[in-house]
Amino acid sequence: MNLLFRAAAIAAVLHITPAVVLVKRPDAVQALLPGAEAYFAREVHLSNSDAHRLHLAVDWSPEDGVLTFYGGKTGSVVVGLLEFVRVDSPHGPIEVAVGFTPEGTVRGVIVTKATVETKPWVLEAVGAGLGERYRGLKPGDRPTGAAAIAGRAGNLAEYIAGEVDKGVARALAAYGAFYRGAKS
Amino acid sequence: MLYDLRRADARIKWLVTCLLATFGLSYVFGALMVALYAGFTPKRVAATYAGREMSMTMPPETTLVVEHPMSMAEFARPEVHAVDTDLLIQDTHVHVPMYGIFAAALSLVVVGLSLPRGRALSLITLLFAAPWLDFAGMWLTKFASPRFAIVTLVGGWAMGAGYLVVAALAVQQMWFSRERS
Repeated sequence: MNLLFRAAAIAAVLHITPAVVLVKRPDAVQALLPGAEAYFAREVHLSNSDAHRLHLAVDWSPEDGVLTFYGGKTGSVVVGLLEFVRVDSPHGPIEVAVGFTPEGTVRGVIVTKATVETKPWVLEAVGAGLGERYRGLKPGDRPTGAAAIAGRAGNLAEYIAGEVDKGVARALAAYGAFYRGAKS
Repeated sequence: MLYDLRRADARIKWLVTCLLATFGLSYVFGALMVALYAGFTPKRVAATYAGREMSMTMPPETTLVVEHPMSMAEFARPEVHAVDTDLLIQDTHVHVPMYGIFAAALSLVVVGLSLPRGRALSLITLLFAAPWLDFAGMWLTKFASPRFAIVTLVGGWAMGAGYLVVAALAVQQMWFSRERS
């Protein structure tokens, strides 16, 4: 019986709760690419060496080795760019939308997906001003959202803010090396 | 036989009824969860379990860039919930023991029903075979062919059918049979 209870406890711990959409992708796109009238997707299919370089930089490889940047345009003018980055945590994945201005700095960060378990932590972190902490960052900068909300939110909110930091760091690295870098 | 749910003490009947109601609730939400994350058609199940692993391509020699226009409707398109091998291992590890406990509990109810031996054995076999089919279908879909998605669907429907048959027979025999005590 003791074994049964232990097995059930392990199963409960390992069972990842389902994903929850916090902000729908179209809403995130409209918020992070304001004024855009047309959109495009730029898919960067990474070679082995480039994928390895990115992995060394931020300990991350995009799904199927493809980075996707979504851009918004008004006429022929690009109004910004955004990436959706997934971060896997022991409590399930979160998805972070990171928007960039045409100048290449972070315009805003929105957590679009969490899990049933992590949703309240994300909401608490966002309520403590997490989203504001990334504005103006540029490739090469280190996101410090978790540290910024320390003391103003609970431990679990601070923990999930650390996961959001990872997502923003990945987006900055990818943008710096494979969008802005590729353009220049 | 000593164990006969028709003549069981009312407390036992109530226990079995509550157990069946609780299982029924979990089956309803299980079905809703399947609808949300995998779907009830072979195509959607195949997309969930076969995923991109079936068509994985090698990385290019040099980084390639492809650009195409996007509409807002494409951003709104629902994403396919993909179950990769690691997640399927975890799902199998978590769900199969639980399904075994469900099948065992329902089989204990079957044993207490007034049924011909052959029918009872068939019902018990169905209760245990259904989850095997469910998970065998997932693994075969991932590693053999997306066509095996149908096996998962058969397993899922068999689980639901097995539960409904057992619940209907038990409630009828415990509470509405003429021979009940």
